[in-house]
Amino acid sequence: MKTIGKDSRVDDPMADRRSGIEEFWRLLKQNRLAMIGLAIFGLFFCIALLGLVLTTGKNPAFDPAMVRLQEKLRPPLSRPNLETLRSEEVPRLGVYLFGTDDLGRDVFARMLQGAWVSLTVGFVAVGISVIIGIFMGGISGYFGQNHTSMDTLIMRFVDIMLCFPSFFLILTVVALLPASMYNIMIVIGLTSWMGTTRFVRAEFLSLREQDFVTAARALGVNHWRIIFRHMIPNAMAPVLVSATIGIATAILTEAGLSFLGFGVPPPHATWGSILSDGKRFIFDAPWLTFLPGFAILIVVLSFNLFGEGLRDILNPKLRERY
Amino acid sequence: MLSFIGRSIVQKTITLFFVSIVSFLIIHLAPGKPSQVDPLNPKFTPEIVERFRKEFHLDKPIYVQYVYFYRDLFTGKTVSWKDNQPVLGKIWERFLNSLPLFIVGTIITWTLSFPIGIRSAIFRGGFYDRSATFFSYLLISVPGFFFAYVLIIFVVTHFHVPVIGLKTFGIGDTSWLRMIMDRVWHLLLPSVLGATGGIAILSRYVRSQMLEVEGQDYVRTARAKGVPEEQVHYKHALRNALLPFVTMFGLILPGLIGGSVIIESIFSWPGMGRMAYEAILARDYPIILTVNFISAVLVLAGTFISDLLYLVVDPRIRL
Repeated sequence: MKTIGKDSRVDDPMADRRSGIEEFWRLLKQNRLAMIGLAIFGLFFCIALLGLVLTTGKNPAFDPAMVRLQEKLRPPLSRPNLETLRSEEVPRLGVYLFGTDDLGRDVFARMLQGAWVSLTVGFVAVGISVIIGIFMGGISGYFGQNHTSMDTLIMRFVDIMLCFPSFFLILTVVALLPASMYNIMIVIGLTSWMGTTRFVRAEFLSLREQDFVTAARALGVNHWRIIFRHMIPNAMAPVLVSATIGIATAILTEAGLSFLGFGVPPPHATWGSILSDGKRFIFDAPWLTFLPGFAILIVVLSFNLFGEGLRDILNPKLRERY
Repeated sequence: MLSFIGRSIVQKTITLFFVSIVSFLIIHLAPGKPSQVDPLNPKFTPEIVERFRKEFHLDKPIYVQYVYFYRDLFTGKTVSWKDNQPVLGKIWERFLNSLPLFIVGTIITWTLSFPIGIRSAIFRGGFYDRSATFFSYLLISVPGFFFAYVLIIFVVTHFHVPVIGLKTFGIGDTSWLRMIMDRVWHLLLPSVLGATGGIAILSRYVRSQMLEVEGQDYVRTARAKGVPEEQVHYKHALRNALLPFVTMFGLILPGLIGGSVIIESIFSWPGMGRMAYEAILARDYPIILTVNFISAVLVLAGTFISDLLYLVVDPRIRL
């Protein structure tokens, strides 16, 4: 199209040009569920960041570990009994926004602290799995033509990993390792890269036959540069979609582990562990079950909706004609 | 056909062999020893630990342990470290408890997903379709343990029936009708919970298959020649959309053993998942490894069956 002169008439009836990002944004705005997902995700990100700032340090604004035994199981929005509390024990907002748990700890502060755990576990675990997946899938798809053994080896390894029941495997390894947040992230990451590997490999198999790859090869660009600079950007669409949904799955897995008691070790609150601690009081203090439960539900739902929206947007075949 | 069967059996056996090695390595190379489970127990003197290690070959190098373990497994002699019971017998007993959950859950999943998915596809873009889509995302996203408690609160406060466990504790001998109703109530909640994720995923899949077929030329032809709408949907479209689901019968096989660790521990259901969870807590390696091995066998057998079914039902695939 570039060959047609600028002032030529042929130019006029053409659709106006849009950059990739503009087009993406336009399609995203049409997809209402995906927009809601993105908005909730943005909100959650801010809350988690704020939570990290407000609940850590020597003298945090909201202390999630402050025990007030005289203020056990107060319902949400109840006022603290000022006569029995010392001045530093009074909650910062002057009210227990989300109530207190069986040790009189402020559930609002604990939820804030837990938000950061969910966020980091989701992102770091998926980051690990995406990096491994891209690397393995890239090698297997790109070199598979000339080194069949490498391709076979990687794909058989994927088959082997897929034979393990994933939650059971994660549970086993997490239970055997010392309890820490980093172990959970690493274990979830190391057990969920198989899907990405398959996607990337499938994309690479078709990409490597295309002209721009042949051209790059003819120019003498080295293999790694072709893989990382030319091919991976073109193979990102399915990876992004599966990564977004993977974050949702990782958050659910972490919550499940915390619920079973294999999560981040105790003084630290996570949404799963708040729910798990509260399960003994489901009839007396239902907020201990419902608040973290709905928080997990909403965050996971927002990632799932956004991921499905991304799938529609990034796949031109699924797009409705306009 | 025969060569395909032969080839995949060989390939799957090799995969299984490596799965056994990997799972063995994961368990045995992880930090911590089974003898450290209960260091404060006064009965756990160093001599007992030593005898224990000798008894279960823990003092041998790891590859010898591997050979011993799988030799015992195949001859059915593996025993649990916790109570010295044969592992296969224990698993079988628990499996029989999990089986009703699995069967009821599968029936619920398959009978609900198809009508929901088909209706969504027929009224694509309408109110029904959009709310079904939203609800399926909701069901995928809800943490199982949270949903379990919501349902427990609901059922217990509205119907006043106990739901925890296999049956009501101490129900004794009442009339058989009460007994059966009691069992049904206890079975219902965990199976519904086990089915939720499946309903959401399967109904979405039915919908997309149906949509794909509805766009085909032969469906348009059927409409053009004046076939009634009902017949177009259920005779021309649905029959062809069903093809991939035949193969899914193979893929539900692994669900037999996976069970749900979380759901079974919430409902104190003495099934496979709970046994596996207890084995992990007690570092009962033989049980963990055996469960892992059997589930790998089921995964491989499942993919094999689904490949075979595809060969049988789809005449376009010939090997």
